[in-house]
Amino acid sequence: MPRLNEKRKVIFPVSEAIRFSLESVKRRFGRVLITLISIIFGIAFYAAINTTAILNIYYEMEQGLPTTGIKGYQLWMAAISLLVCGIGIINTMLMSIAERYKEIGTLKCLGAMDKHVMMLFIIEALFLGIIGGFLGSVLGWSIGVGMAIYQNRLPTLWLSSIRILGEAMVISIILSVISAVAPAYFAAKLKPAEALRYEV
Amino acid sequence: MKKSGVYEYTVETEDLAKYYKMGSVIVKALDGISIKIIRGEYLSVMGPSGSGKTTLFNMIGGLDRPTRGTVYIDEVNIANLDAYELAWLRCRKIGYIFQTFNLIPVLTAFENVELPMIFAGVDQDERKRRAVEILTRVGLGDRLDHKPAELSGGQQQRVAIARALANNPVIILADEPTGNLDLHTGLDIINLLRSLNTERGVTIITATHDLKMIDVSDRIFWIRDGKIDRIETRAQVAI
Repeated sequence: MPRLNEKRKVIFPVSEAIRFSLESVKRRFGRVLITLISIIFGIAFYAAINTTAILNIYYEMEQGLPTTGIKGYQLWMAAISLLVCGIGIINTMLMSIAERYKEIGTLKCLGAMDKHVMMLFIIEALFLGIIGGFLGSVLGWSIGVGMAIYQNRLPTLWLSSIRILGEAMVISIILSVISAVAPAYFAAKLKPAEALRYEV
Repeated sequence: MKKSGVYEYTVETEDLAKYYKMGSVIVKALDGISIKIIRGEYLSVMGPSGSGKTTLFNMIGGLDRPTRGTVYIDEVNIANLDAYELAWLRCRKIGYIFQTFNLIPVLTAFENVELPMIFAGVDQDERKRRAVEILTRVGLGDRLDHKPAELSGGQQQRVAIARALANNPVIILADEPTGNLDLHTGLDIINLLRSLNTERGVTIITATHDLKMIDVSDRIFWIRDGKIDRIETRAQVAI
């Protein structure tokens, strides 16, 4: 029985994948905006809560006040902010990919392999995670600093709280990618026939 | 089996079966189908809905795995293919057409046709040339930059046909290609498929219950309850 020879492979260059993903983001802008807003607000919430907590500690230390360190309720707030932001991102990402199972099935009919589908969704999620994370953390951090200024409790070392930006960015990217990759992986692993008729 | 370098039978199935479990009941969507499809023929698989047409379509197209039996495409058992070879088969050997068109909604007509050629590694100039050529052939030369939502049902199905042809496949598999179209548009699509079959020698397999399809089919497989009921040529049906 004849075998297909080794060179018979499909390809999907990263450059094409990036182009496809960005086009998809651009043209689905309304849907993407909803996802993006959810990321921005989730991350902003996280960044604002944590910036406030840190600025407060700095202020107490600088003023020689009996510093209480991180208070119990602040830890709770940080944990809840992470939870809210995480669930928001996961939820919108799951929804936006569930809408596209049929598209994933179609891509596989056209010759896409599982890894190509994954690549598309990882690029999209990275893009959303970076943009959303950046805007959200800048927004949240500004709110935190703004609050401190408003209360007249801004420590001289306020600028060092900028590391929250980095933290929030990392959280945004990780959450976005994981919550996009999980359903995309599930859809890509389905037989194309199943993906095409999948009802969410 | 080779006849002057080409395979006589493009598709062969042996005792093909697919069972689904619905709760505690086992549904036999396909139950022992053995068929041989001749290269270049226009074949219609006819039967009422629920008779197993779409399941057969999925099995032949390598879109699902059978419970039992074998599918050969150009004498290769597709169950033996690895992920790369299977993707290659779907990309280069088979073109799919669906009842619901299944175009990528964010891409234009041109980009939809271009996509399978990207997977096939065709270079950009050649992609452009071929996509324009095929879209012009199906009568959409002036709709290249329209997105699916801006096209009528018939036009969307033409884009889907152009996309299916992009990599010059050996087989076109069409699942109820006229199911979502009105009578007149459906007839146009049927005639287009037939003329592409004649021009390009591509084997066309349609799963349908549209009786208009009989007039253009070389052979008709009547399917019932997951089994082949009878096989007729057009001449036999016409009487």
